[in-house]
Amino acid sequence: MPERKVTVVADVGLHARPAATFVRAAAKAPMDVWIAKPGRDPVNAKSILQILALDVQQDETVVIKAEGDGADAVLDELANIAGSP
Amino acid sequence: MTTVLAPVEGAAVELAAVPDPVFSAGMVGPGAAIDPLREPGKAVAPIAGKIMKLHPHAYVIVGDDGRGVLVHLGIDTVQLKGEGFEALAAEGDRVGAGQPVVAWDPAAIEAGGRSPVCAVVALDADAAAVSRVAPGSVRAGEELFRWL
Repeated sequence: MPERKVTVVADVGLHARPAATFVRAAAKAPMDVWIAKPGRDPVNAKSILQILALDVQQDETVVIKAEGDGADAVLDELANIAGSP
Repeated sequence: MTTVLAPVEGAAVELAAVPDPVFSAGMVGPGAAIDPLREPGKAVAPIAGKIMKLHPHAYVIVGDDGRGVLVHLGIDTVQLKGEGFEALAAEGDRVGAGQPVVAWDPAAIEAGGRSPVCAVVALDADAAAVSRVAPGSVRAGEELFRWL
């Protein structure tokens, strides 16, 4: 499955605005989208509840996965959001 | 249907009145907000369930049906790094609706130059699933809105 590994640089981590922006973008994707901390079970990237539960802090790395038509574009957009300050 | 309780005492307002576009534009989800009474108080659980996340300034309770409600105490309060907030429960604890979770002082938040407005958000909910908030004064533990 295509994936992107990205380090979260926002000082609030993947919370508040970055989290909301990330989930909004993921929710628009036609396929399932997953996000995980390395070595941990992935969670649904379209769920703000699950993203907040994941509790990604600044400088932590996440892996985002999706499969199907357009998956690479979806992953590029999500990696860009997660990797933005 | 989930009845979501006011976590703090104050004036219930629309989420649109929160001075942070992440909340006012409904980016996190639909819900309501409370302009809190400016005196030390205890923020309570808006629903019964498990404390899935407990930050000093914000917490998420997940009910047995999997529905999660976020309570965010004040705007930009993550910057306080916990100062002025005291956890009264722990992450993973089961709490009853209305049970105290965090002690805080909205007046101190405001004195520090931040809005103490408290956002209460139904996570992963459709906007249409949340009933309109009845504006006016509420006490902690009273109904704030309904999540159909």
